[in-house]
Amino acid sequence: MTVTRTLVLYISVAILFLYAIIAVFAPLLTPWDPHAISGTPLEKPDALHPLGTNDTGQDILSQLLYGTRITLLIGFGAAILSVVISTSVGLVTGYYGGLFDEIVSRIIDIFMTIPLFPLLLVLALFFNPSIWTMSILMGALGSTHGIRVVRSQVLSLAQSNFVEGARAIGASDFRIMTRHILPNIMPIVVVKFVTSSQHYLVMGVGLSFLGLWDTTTIDWGTMINQAYSSGGVALGLWWWLLPPGIAVVGISLALALIGYSFEEKFNPRVGVNRL
Amino acid sequence: MMTRTYLLRRIGYSAAAFFVSITITFFLLHLMPGDYITNYFLSLGNTLPQETIQQFYEEFGLNLPLPQQYLNYLINIVQGHWGYSYEYSRPVLSLIWEKLGWTLIILLPATVIGIIAGSLIGAYSGWKTGTKKDLALFNIMIIIRAIPEFWWAIMAVIIFSYYLGLFPLGGYSSISVLYTGIDWLDVLYHAALPTALMAFLIATGNYYVMRNSMISVIGEDYITTARAKGLSEREILWHHAMKNAILPMVTMTTLQFASIIMGSIFIETVFSWPGLGYLTTEALRMRDLPLLEGIFLLDTLLVIAANLIADVTCSLLDPRIRTGDDGD
Repeated sequence: MTVTRTLVLYISVAILFLYAIIAVFAPLLTPWDPHAISGTPLEKPDALHPLGTNDTGQDILSQLLYGTRITLLIGFGAAILSVVISTSVGLVTGYYGGLFDEIVSRIIDIFMTIPLFPLLLVLALFFNPSIWTMSILMGALGSTHGIRVVRSQVLSLAQSNFVEGARAIGASDFRIMTRHILPNIMPIVVVKFVTSSQHYLVMGVGLSFLGLWDTTTIDWGTMINQAYSSGGVALGLWWWLLPPGIAVVGISLALALIGYSFEEKFNPRVGVNRL
Repeated sequence: MMTRTYLLRRIGYSAAAFFVSITITFFLLHLMPGDYITNYFLSLGNTLPQETIQQFYEEFGLNLPLPQQYLNYLINIVQGHWGYSYEYSRPVLSLIWEKLGWTLIILLPATVIGIIAGSLIGAYSGWKTGTKKDLALFNIMIIIRAIPEFWWAIMAVIIFSYYLGLFPLGGYSSISVLYTGIDWLDVLYHAALPTALMAFLIATGNYYVMRNSMISVIGEDYITTARAKGLSEREILWHHAMKNAILPMVTMTTLQFASIIMGSIFIETVFSWPGLGYLTTEALRMRDLPLLEGIFLLDTLLVIAANLIADVTCSLLDPRIRTGDDGD
């Protein structure tokens, strides 16, 4: 990795931490409740409301800060679930093989053919989702690709000499899987986690931008939707529309860059190609 | 060449996938609190006498046992009876066909331009792999891809339509349509910005595929052979590398045409373009489950068919692809 790459990685990680801190300490950073009507509608930015108020008189800055919680929860929640499912299912099917593996692989083949996004919309409409159900749905439905990736790695590792050796000295299957195979697939799992969290985070904001859940849950997608459809553009109220958008772009970029740096580090072939 | 078992197996998977999708939509419709007919009448705002409702139940087969209903549902889907939209009070399928045309007006040119541009830039980047130019292009593409689609669309509207005033703010036609009827030049004027934006986004997506493909091709022995023969770099690029590197683009192209919902929902919503993507957003907003299920089934059908076509075309174009094995 070059010096600039390393620097970019550090900056990205710093941005990620900044978002996490904002999410955790949101109540300390702003005096206003994001749901409360704390001023007159469409106030311009001033000392009381640094980003002004929206069309119902809610403080935009506190919506932005509290929105970090929802957006991060959806993105990382779905990514954690997806990675846990794909790692455990991939590990078990790849290690044992046989009929069970065959059945799971065929089911995944079938599900991978169904387009995920429209299915998600249909299910979301039906379940009338809270942010939790939404992130569970995204994580579970999106885990199929990860299962394949992990499984193919485990398949070759399960045949390797050190696994053979561990078995020879009488290690249990569970121990071999968790102590010997898992550490070897960790790099892929980490890369997959970072790239999926970026993917799910953007998808979550996109879904709420489309108005998928009720507007009482304030996240960046809802904010952008409100600002865009309630005339934030036509009135030139940039402090209403731009901050949530820039917030999404910022974390999405940070995660994408971390993902690429990791990939470069763990996958030597990519590094050679890129010098 | 393609083996018959491979083809049969692919068709089998495709059929199974569509079957699973139909089953999901069936159960969602039937798990819904209240049933389809009750909801439909509620959506019409009618207060019908009990006997009439009873009669509808019998005519629509809602008093039949569930397996029987399931069978009927399957037959209906195959015959093209995809249910009625609550919101529009119209058969779902005819509504979808109407909107599909609007989507294709921007999707077709955008896909063609996007694929050509993406392939050329990707091929150049892959051919020059490791150079400063490649690195710069690659990093720019990472940044472009990390910005959500709807944000690109909103920014485009703000900059090009609002501040520069070059394009209309949205919709598909000027208000004069009320007096003069649809003027297709006006429609094209409205379609220009969303089309350009979609082409731009499709191009960045294709860039990666083409670049990776090119990088793996230039490592092949036949490129070395071509160099050893003393061919010019230009000749190697166009006659040897490009021809082989373009193969994955066949799959990409087919899939891009198929994923009309995912590809168009954000752009159509932001630009208020009356296509399938916008219809999907409306269905979500109005909680119109039958309509959304119809859109989902159509998209599934298209994606499945596209996958099948792409697989078959690829193995016909490239005999090296071993078709006996599914690659696991």
